[in-house]
Amino acid sequence: MTVSRRAFLTTAFIGLVPKSGRRIAGSLVNESVVLGHQLRDRVPFAKPRETIRLPLVIVGGGIAGLSAAWRLHKRGFREFKLLEMESDAGGNARWGRNEVSAFPWGAHYVPVPGRSLGLVRELFQDLGLFDGQRFDERHLVHAPRERLFIHGRWQEGLEPAVGPTRRDRDQMDRFEDRIRDFAATGRFTLPMAAGRGGDQPEDTLSMASWLDREGFDSSWLRWTVDYGCRDDYGALAGDVSAWAGIHYFAARDGDDDGGPGPLTWPEGNGHIVRLLLERLGPMVQTGAPAYRIERRDRQWHVLTPQAEWIADAAIVATPLLVASRIVQDMPPVDTVYSPWITANLTLDRWPHERGFGPAWDNVLFDSPALGYVVATHQNLRIHIPQTVWTYYWALAAGSPAAARQWLLGQDWSSLKDRILADLSRAHPDLAECVSRIDIMRLGHAMIRPTPGFLSSPIRQYVRKGADHLFFAHSDVSGLPLFEEAQYRGVTAADAALHAIGRVT
Amino acid sequence: MTAALLASVLLIAACGLIYELVAGALASYLLGDSVTQFSTVIGTYLFAMGVGSWLSRFVARGLVARFVLVEIMVGLVGGFSSAILFLAFAFTSGFHVLLYTLVFVVGVLVGLEIPLLMRILRDRFEFKDVVSNVLTFDYLGALGASLLFPIVLVPRLGLVRSPMLFGAINVGVALWTTFVLRTALPARRRLQALAVAALVLLGGGMVWGDDILQLGEGNLYADEIVLARTTPYQRIVLTAWKNDLRLFLNSNLQFSSRDEYRYHESLVHPGLAAVPAPRRVLILGGGDGLALREVLRYPSVESVTLVDLDPEMTRLFTTHPDLKRLNHGAFEDARVRVVNEDAFVWIDRPDQIFDFAIVDFPDPSNFSLGKLYTTTFYRMLSRHLAPDGVVVVQATSPLFARQSYWCIVTTVEQSGLIAAPYHVYVPSFGEWGFVLAGRSRPAIATALPNGLRFLTAAIVPQLFDFPVDMDRVEAEPNHLNTQALVRYYEREWREVNR
Repeated sequence: MTVSRRAFLTTAFIGLVPKSGRRIAGSLVNESVVLGHQLRDRVPFAKPRETIRLPLVIVGGGIAGLSAAWRLHKRGFREFKLLEMESDAGGNARWGRNEVSAFPWGAHYVPVPGRSLGLVRELFQDLGLFDGQRFDERHLVHAPRERLFIHGRWQEGLEPAVGPTRRDRDQMDRFEDRIRDFAATGRFTLPMAAGRGGDQPEDTLSMASWLDREGFDSSWLRWTVDYGCRDDYGALAGDVSAWAGIHYFAARDGDDDGGPGPLTWPEGNGHIVRLLLERLGPMVQTGAPAYRIERRDRQWHVLTPQAEWIADAAIVATPLLVASRIVQDMPPVDTVYSPWITANLTLDRWPHERGFGPAWDNVLFDSPALGYVVATHQNLRIHIPQTVWTYYWALAAGSPAAARQWLLGQDWSSLKDRILADLSRAHPDLAECVSRIDIMRLGHAMIRPTPGFLSSPIRQYVRKGADHLFFAHSDVSGLPLFEEAQYRGVTAADAALHAIGRVT
Repeated sequence: MTAALLASVLLIAACGLIYELVAGALASYLLGDSVTQFSTVIGTYLFAMGVGSWLSRFVARGLVARFVLVEIMVGLVGGFSSAILFLAFAFTSGFHVLLYTLVFVVGVLVGLEIPLLMRILRDRFEFKDVVSNVLTFDYLGALGASLLFPIVLVPRLGLVRSPMLFGAINVGVALWTTFVLRTALPARRRLQALAVAALVLLGGGMVWGDDILQLGEGNLYADEIVLARTTPYQRIVLTAWKNDLRLFLNSNLQFSSRDEYRYHESLVHPGLAAVPAPRRVLILGGGDGLALREVLRYPSVESVTLVDLDPEMTRLFTTHPDLKRLNHGAFEDARVRVVNEDAFVWIDRPDQIFDFAIVDFPDPSNFSLGKLYTTTFYRMLSRHLAPDGVVVVQATSPLFARQSYWCIVTTVEQSGLIAAPYHVYVPSFGEWGFVLAGRSRPAIATALPNGLRFLTAAIVPQLFDFPVDMDRVEAEPNHLNTQALVRYYEREWREVNR
């Protein structure tokens, strides 16, 4: 056999080209950007083919809309329909499943509801997650809960064990004292509507300015606060109001420190959606985008490509951004929304570890992203050879508009590479473990509680609603939280029942 | 003669590098974290060489004799370095101290070699040629050694015998020097005798090197490994010494055939013998069939369901002749049904009811295994119990891991059962603990099956007495979301093993 010089050289030097990892499958999934932009641009939709009269219509099938439906159903009222534009209900609690595990596409936990969150406790009791005394242990996050990749190793817990000085610790203690003081004012509560109203001076400045003003300059403390704001609001501390930043720390009654919880499931809050749909299925219609909601002859006309729904009252449970484009005579919305990326990585095997082993929530210090959550963590099996990781990345840096522009310009491959590069710092062999990465781009993932939102005119408008029209969404609170969505859904349901005279 | 001396430069350079590589490789092999081990070993070694070079200035007279002596010492210390380190790792806790001491001593001696040799050669060459020649051959020797080490020496000779071979070469150089430079050595007979003695020692080391290694690994697998399997779930190792068979799962001893009857009789009979005419028995874990062997002593038993994750485990204990003899061929009994499934998954299907359940899982040494010791697990298990059914749980050592043991007791109680804790002495384990539990206070056996080797009806009640040093301590119950047990267990066994 003769070997050409070229073939010989190719073989000899092939080892010098960059290692080609395994082929990774996947795609961009659940892209709703087209439909969203059609609504924005008032692109004509198909004219409804039929007319249906009903006492009540709910538009939007996220946690708020589903909670409204749950409340109506529980009060014995069944003459309503919930219209969801996507093919699956759930909104930010949507979920997916593959041969390895179910996994979330959005919100993936609910903190254990304290006594002030009676409605959440009632819901969880209805769904069989809570027996009135105790939460089912299987749904509380299993130990170990969190770990942090820092200084080249994983450590248990999110507070850096090495690094912070006495000065940093003093500041953290002082910060906690301040938060306790704020909690004691009764102004930072969940649901926020239960809190003492009146003047909220912290709404006028950003969280970062407040930290500056109070002399909190410890880089570790600032990282913790930034992480919290990115986690809950998709924004840096400089871009959310001090009121919202403080609320993140002050509104939960210490459940996050050593107490049990939060509650979590493989499919994240999709579990709650799933249980709700088991009960409310017949009242929910998916694939039904409401493109116009208008008042005619003392009735609300909700237009979808399939039908024109004529109702005595309507509950608008969409993000305010969407509502402003479909609801007649709604004032313009100037709220800011945070762009996000969520990715689900399917792993054929677990990567090698340095330091503390896998936890539920796995955070990389100095990463632009929030880290990943292990979808199989709540699995009770002893031997779990394969897993799914849900990777959360709030595009918090820079302006949301610029981040959205950038996001639209990315394809699957470039985002996949970025995600792998980020995680490979902690798991050098990750690319060899991953068989699939599905990525969801969310241009307007959640409302951002910017300074001044509490007193903004649009918020005053949506809290009141219009004649026989009620807004139900966590956007009404300005805090993208499960508890707020549920509260707004339930109160809108109650108000709607009252308006149409169906109080029992 | 010149060529001979330069050849010895080449050889001693190679030897010097081999000792360094052996120390680095051994430290990485035993301690892990190869970057740290190699860095610190090489650093110490190079520094020690510098010390040796500096010390060479104090050698004034008898240059050649000192050189020969240094060579013999390097040969002996370097040659036996890895054997010494292996044994130190196995039997002492002073591995680190010894490692760096040995590396330092060898380094100093190797550091002495070249300066001494250069001074010996000084009278025979011009200075520039001495430097050039010696350093050239020094580096050549290093290259040779560094290539030989991974390609030939480690695979063929291993880490214990390779340095001995090179120790012999060092001593050989010493012996050779006594002939080549005999004019400079008035008292060479004594040096030659010393060198020969060193060669004999090293030769002996080469011959018995494997025994030294086995002695070294004696802290765990002291005995001949008769069987080793890596399954997707664990590493199964079976060792034998005379008539003692030992089973290790992931390096943790599961039983020794010499005293396993103490463990398994105590696991099964105090509870089972008190159940009136038990018919249906469940065994979770216990793929070795030894608890099963004890259960099958009861003629009233109609069915036994054994749930073990690893099919290889139950297959081995069904087919391997030595293992079958141990469990009396229990798996061939028609009453036995084997289910190879994750225990938590199996237990989640509430379709079968049992009069007696045996929970014999590995100790809660990690968060995965810790799940099998939680209130959730025991609650789900109790749904499989007949109204007066009883369960027994292996619960680690109440002496070595006292809080862990009482944590398991507390957990069983928290899940709505009434617990009766007891313990027994198993020589290969030490004091071992169990928890008997039922919906009402479980009865304790007053009569036992015939043919037991350890238990008598008179002993059984005594097992439920706890001496002061194992008596109950406060412990949090073990929940899925806290895994208190794994933390107790980790802390307590770390203290024992320290």
